[in-house]
Amino acid sequence: MNPKTIAAKDLQISTPTDTTIVLTRTFDAPPRLMWQAMFTPDKMTRWMLPPPGWTLTSCECDPRVGGALALAWKSAEEDPAMTLRGVFTEVVLHERIVHTETMALGSGQVIGSLVEVHEFAERGSATTMRITQTYASKEARDGALASGMDQGMEACYQQLDTVLAQAL
Amino acid sequence: MGSYAFARRRTAEAVVRSPEASELVLAIVKPIGILNQMVLDRSPRLDLVFHALAHPARRAIIRQLTLGERNLSELAAPLKMTFPAATKHVRMLEGAKLVRRRVSGRQQLCRLNALPLKEAMLWTEQFRQYWEARFEVLDSLLDEMKAEEQAGARRP
Repeated sequence: MNPKTIAAKDLQISTPTDTTIVLTRTFDAPPRLMWQAMFTPDKMTRWMLPPPGWTLTSCECDPRVGGALALAWKSAEEDPAMTLRGVFTEVVLHERIVHTETMALGSGQVIGSLVEVHEFAERGSATTMRITQTYASKEARDGALASGMDQGMEACYQQLDTVLAQAL
Repeated sequence: MGSYAFARRRTAEAVVRSPEASELVLAIVKPIGILNQMVLDRSPRLDLVFHALAHPARRAIIRQLTLGERNLSELAAPLKMTFPAATKHVRMLEGAKLVRRRVSGRQQLCRLNALPLKEAMLWTEQFRQYWEARFEVLDSLLDEMKAEEQAGARRP
């Protein structure tokens, strides 16, 4: 793999404001195919890996203004375990699309909401996709960034020790 | 955001003692995890780091300092703001323990302290891995879609 290829596949994550997370990543495909892969249900289910132990049970996506976005997951214990419901509010075909989404537990209890913007910039035969997530609060945003840390602080401190040992 | 507010009012210990709350938190904390119970008790120290990183001028200062020690004028110069405004940003970075200042003659020299950055990075590591994994699969899917398109185009 030449260095240029590696750089293009780098996922960049930034937090430009207190309530946003921005993900930027380049893909070897034209915007038109990116759009299909991102917003066609049978393509979405191929790459949207569910968390370990969970299964995606349904996926609806209508990428037009006013169109619905709806996903549901089940776990060994619950079906549904979590749902995502949203609506598309702005659409510029193959360029930019905005939607709102609300996550809820199986019981219906709402966990959180966010606004998500996907932007696609053509770069020759490739596309740079930028996803901007805007959360309802700094705490919600920080919580999303730190998600996956449920192994506990112990594992984190062990990792930190390893990082520090390498730095010294 | 009812469940979040509810979980926030409890300490981690209290949540574990109550079966319903424990179930609720476990369900929330499960991998998609918008919320995480460790975050609820996270140190204000890390909050300072995230807040420090949120401003483009402060990120620019940090980037400069990764190249080595700089005095205040050098840090302020590229920032397109008054000198006092720039020093205010440096002070905020000092508050987050990201920058250390020392006096050398008439200069005030600033140095980057990377440890808080490493700690902040650990918090985001799982998030990064989650998205990188998905995007790698997306890479393969896109290759497949391109091949299908090309195969389709070749057929008469």
